[in-house]
Amino acid sequence: MTSLDEARSLLREFPVVDGHNDLPYALREQVRYDLDARDIATHQNAHLHTDIPRLREGGVGAQYWSVYVRSDLPGAVPATLEQIDCVRQLIARYPADLRAALTAADMEAARAEGRIASLMGAEGGHSIDNSLGTLRGLYELGVRYMTLTHNDNNDWADSATDEPNVGGLSAFGREVVREMNRLGMLVDLSHVAATTMRAALDTSTAPVIFSHSSSRAVCDHPRNIPDDVLERLPGNGGMAMVTFVPKFVLQAAVDWTAAADENMRDHGFHHLDTTEAAMKVHRAFEETNPRPVATVATVADHLDHMREVAGIDHLGIGGDYDGTAFTPDGLNDVSGYPNLVAELLDRGWSRSDLAKLTWQNAVRVLGAAEDVARGLQETRGPSHATIAELDG
Amino acid sequence: MADLQHDIPTTTEVGREDRLPDDPFPVESGAAFLERAHALLEAYPVADGYSGLPRALGPLPWYDLELGETAVDTDVPRLREGHVGALFWSLPVPEGDRGDRGGRAVRATLEQLDLVRRVVETHPEGLRLVRTAGQVIDARNCGRVAVVLGPASAAALDDSLGILRVLQSLGLRVLSLAGAAWAGAQGLTRFGEEVVREMNRLGVLADLSGAPEAALVRTLALSKTPVLCTRSAAAAVRPHPANLSDGLLARLGEQKGVCMVPLAAEQTGPSLADVAGHLDHVRAVAGPECVALSGTYDSGVAHPRDLDDASRYPHLIAELLRRGWSDTELSLLTWGNVQRALRSADFTARAAQYRRDPNPPRPADPEA
Repeated sequence: MTSLDEARSLLREFPVVDGHNDLPYALREQVRYDLDARDIATHQNAHLHTDIPRLREGGVGAQYWSVYVRSDLPGAVPATLEQIDCVRQLIARYPADLRAALTAADMEAARAEGRIASLMGAEGGHSIDNSLGTLRGLYELGVRYMTLTHNDNNDWADSATDEPNVGGLSAFGREVVREMNRLGMLVDLSHVAATTMRAALDTSTAPVIFSHSSSRAVCDHPRNIPDDVLERLPGNGGMAMVTFVPKFVLQAAVDWTAAADENMRDHGFHHLDTTEAAMKVHRAFEETNPRPVATVATVADHLDHMREVAGIDHLGIGGDYDGTAFTPDGLNDVSGYPNLVAELLDRGWSRSDLAKLTWQNAVRVLGAAEDVARGLQETRGPSHATIAELDG
Repeated sequence: MADLQHDIPTTTEVGREDRLPDDPFPVESGAAFLERAHALLEAYPVADGYSGLPRALGPLPWYDLELGETAVDTDVPRLREGHVGALFWSLPVPEGDRGDRGGRAVRATLEQLDLVRRVVETHPEGLRLVRTAGQVIDARNCGRVAVVLGPASAAALDDSLGILRVLQSLGLRVLSLAGAAWAGAQGLTRFGEEVVREMNRLGVLADLSGAPEAALVRTLALSKTPVLCTRSAAAAVRPHPANLSDGLLARLGEQKGVCMVPLAAEQTGPSLADVAGHLDHVRAVAGPECVALSGTYDSGVAHPRDLDDASRYPHLIAELLRRGWSDTELSLLTWGNVQRALRSADFTARAAQYRRDPNPPRPADPEA
């Protein structure tokens, strides 16, 4: 039996829980939620990283669908509700393959039925617009993690890719974390500044997650997790879900991206500009400077290191498919997970290690957050704090 | 109906000739009417179409609705005294948040829904959150006041059908179309029509009080289920922008919609008799199956004399008895018509969900 066969057989038993997939946002941007135009029951290779045939091929058993909305536009709350509506419509449309999941028990039930447990995660604290009532509304609607920031700071938390502002979490930011603990919504520390990671770990009484982040020691990028934070995961009980995004995981790609962005600015464009004129400049750059290619081994290197630092009980996978333009060779779309598992088998990871990585850790962490919430709800009612009260 | 077929005391008719001109409630007959009103309401309690309680509770640091709360017009003891069996809790969007492109209206509505859940959870002996007509009955059989969510403000949709579906999943049953750009003086826009169809599909009732006449007419024609006017009296009796003309009342009657007369002095006049006059008129023009009550307590409006809080409904019913309303008509007024509207919406939604798919949230790209 090749290691790929063995990987597939393992995934049949312990499928992948993926921490982050931006299919809803891709549907919003590409077709304004016209789900007929992107029927994910059929192959959508031309448009998307994600569809049901490839999720099946990839051995995915649970997916946190991201209900991400942009943080630089007004109206994050209504847009987030539309994203939630989109996920619900997907679940209603493909009932043989997707099953709504709100709890760890739902995830296990979906696995037993052979359906893909569909959970939701909000990507960025801007989605609650500084309102704990709105946070509770999102929980009620099924959102089970919230990333504290996206690429920009919000009023109460610093992002990894913005200038330091409140120095981690403000008083209101800590109250948001406490309220998430009380609700049983996982605190997601991807995208946040290292100061925010530490402040959240100091505050949270429930396990935290990194829904899609890799190791900063292996590849120095602010989106990755420093070792001192990874070291705290065993004490906290949470998990880091390794991401595949080449410009975060491969040092050559980090450097290449920095050079490409610099080149764009030299030509007078914003580095995220996708207009025709800007893309022309970008293509010219790419012609003379070939894009470095990440591979399955690149991601496995991160996992090997993260395992050294955080331990096997605190790892998971968060591919960020449909949230990024480029993907590593061998992990090109959601059908690629077996290649990663095969690579890890070749590196000597045992079946029980891999079962933890793909399935067991993620289910344990959500269940633990539920337990903490039940305990807190015994003694605490909902918080009515406002940002004006706490942060002045 | 068994509850209604008790003996009707005839003695009340006897005293009529002896009544003094300046005394509308002769002691004996008045007491008898009131007693009958209580008996009637026992069987057919009031379904109150508009309560502002959530917003009134918002700023209070603490409150206890079960023991009694003097800071507001509505609490459980007074609801029981007034025989209120169901309350529609309005979820208005604060003035400053309407029309805001940053989604503050949506946030404000989510916050109100959060508050409502909290209020109901903390008063489990008195209140129960319900969604369907059947659950209203269940709540009543358990001795709880059923709380129905709505009307919410049209601004809460942020012009998105996706948000309508999300709010419905949080329990919303009534949406006001007043103030929506898609329900204006020209009637409904194409998007407005889609909103009404989607509301039908989801079982969310339309509230047309305060909406332009053309929007009401178009919604009446389009909706597969009766519409509500949660705060409208008769314009022929007292002109007011939110009151309905006789023409509209007649159309509402044809479609079996429900005109819920508010206990609001500005719209009805300052006395209990004025309210009764509106009810008489709406019954005559729209029909007895199209009239209901709307307390409007805690919504910031002034109430007619003798109707100053939620405990006063029996006095209004006594007045209507005196005016010759039959027991059947009164049972429809207080309870039956609203139950019919809810039940019809439930049924329409169940039937429509097999035939219609949900649409994409917005008709056009808002970012274009």
